[in-house]
Amino acid sequence: MTRWSAVMVHELLCTTRERLPQLLLAVFVGMIAASAFIGSSARASVTGVYQEALRQGLTTVSNPFDALSPLYYARNTVIYIVLIGALLAIVVGVNSTLRDRQARTADLILSRDVGPAFYLGSKLAGLALFVLLLLALSALLNIGCISVVTGQVLAGGDSARIAGLYALAWLFMLPFVALGMAAGLHAASSTSALLTPIVIWSVVIFILPLLGTAAHPVSLLNPVSPPPAPQGGFFAATSSLVDPLSLGEQFKHVGALILADPQATGTMAGGILTMAAFAVAGCAAVVMTRRTRMRRLLHD
Amino acid sequence: MTATAISTTALTKRYGTAQALNELNLSVPAGEIFGLLGHNGAGKTTIVNILTTLLEPSTGTAEIGGRDIGTAAHQVRSTIGYLPENVQFYDNLTLVENLLFFAHLSGVQAPRARIREVLKFLDFTGHDSQRMSSFSKGMRQRAGIAQAILHEPSVLFLDEPTSGLDPQGVAKLREIIISLNTQLGMTIFMNTHLLAEVTKTCTSIGILSAGTLIYQDSMAATLESFPAQESLEDIYLHIEASQRS
Repeated sequence: MTRWSAVMVHELLCTTRERLPQLLLAVFVGMIAASAFIGSSARASVTGVYQEALRQGLTTVSNPFDALSPLYYARNTVIYIVLIGALLAIVVGVNSTLRDRQARTADLILSRDVGPAFYLGSKLAGLALFVLLLLALSALLNIGCISVVTGQVLAGGDSARIAGLYALAWLFMLPFVALGMAAGLHAASSTSALLTPIVIWSVVIFILPLLGTAAHPVSLLNPVSPPPAPQGGFFAATSSLVDPLSLGEQFKHVGALILADPQATGTMAGGILTMAAFAVAGCAAVVMTRRTRMRRLLHD
Repeated sequence: MTATAISTTALTKRYGTAQALNELNLSVPAGEIFGLLGHNGAGKTTIVNILTTLLEPSTGTAEIGGRDIGTAAHQVRSTIGYLPENVQFYDNLTLVENLLFFAHLSGVQAPRARIREVLKFLDFTGHDSQRMSSFSKGMRQRAGIAQAILHEPSVLFLDEPTSGLDPQGVAKLREIIISLNTQLGMTIFMNTHLLAEVTKTCTSIGILSAGTLIYQDSMAATLESFPAQESLEDIYLHIEASQRS
């Protein structure tokens, strides 16, 4: 086993044995499994209302849910990834670097022929693999649950779109892993290591979109991005500044396009490039950490 | 002629305006168990951090086995083992999982076999599958020694190895340190406060005061040179007091 793979295996082993990641993992996978059934329940309710309206002669149009794509049942997962997935990414990132400081093993590692960039890079790769495996499992689970709900095996094209959504989710979660790792390296205490990236996450997911789109706060929990703000005035000035930073909205927009949501318009390129840029910047910030920073003791 | 395991020349370390080490010239022959004594803040941990390549000196040079710690840091790291003070390890992993990680980082070939060999040497078998969270301080120190010698280093650095151990733990660790030196031929450099332990364990000593090496000699010569003093503690206090006056 090479040093690189040894660190990756170590990272997977430690992460899967820690309580908080285990809990968030269970919630995330549980919600992914439930999402198709929640969508199915929503459809059944609306269809029931439609049938009643039809029976009373209040409408003559066909049930809009009849022509619904099976991908509709994957729409809620976008929100679970933005909320629970990103938090899970932060927690595994924080634990990864905080673990060495709490166990005081940084000196054991750095007194061997292992540099900070190599070590942190291989830790990052281990966590990227962890997130990839988690999302691959979630994608399979999602496809399976949609097949159960619709009563037929999901078509190849639709399965590919769901796989594409989870590939995008990996790109979306990576900056949060890096953010968590950076917080674990730089924070003075365990508490601030966890709280700081969560505050940053809440700003990126909830505050920035409000500044750029005038969206109603609750609409941010909708899987589809809110419409652009009216032209002119404060929001026109701020949207150009904060829109690229609103990672959650970028993910929701590209996710809606991948899931062929009829309300979604525009192209994927901008959102994907923004997420990739954040991922690259986050990873670079982590691997450029200095030896002295890695060795700093916690003030817990 | 005995080879030199550790040597420093005018080694200086400053943290801002504070002088942690002041032109330190030190030489430890191969095969010694060298005890570095000094009060808190004397610079003992700083010198270990520099010699283990964790910290860069402000000025001066140091060599381990004839290799410069600055220009040949990669080679130096493969020849040293290090046990810092109060190392905790990864509590969620077992002893063997912890050791495997460090063995792989050290590039040890056939790591599982080597771990078995080391644990047997340290008389530390039967705990392989036990998680580190259940380990006592003494067991953690033995695990610490195990990770430090996995790659068969020629020089072993121990920072306050007996700190926090009960008397049985101290005795066991002493036995291990002596056998590492006599059976495996390792040069051992240790920082410690427990002067009684130094007398029983070390073959030579150095005394550091405010970043300056004020004394260095073999243990036998030290005890012989101060016949009026009853113990190493008395000798240490006498040398320190002489330096101040």
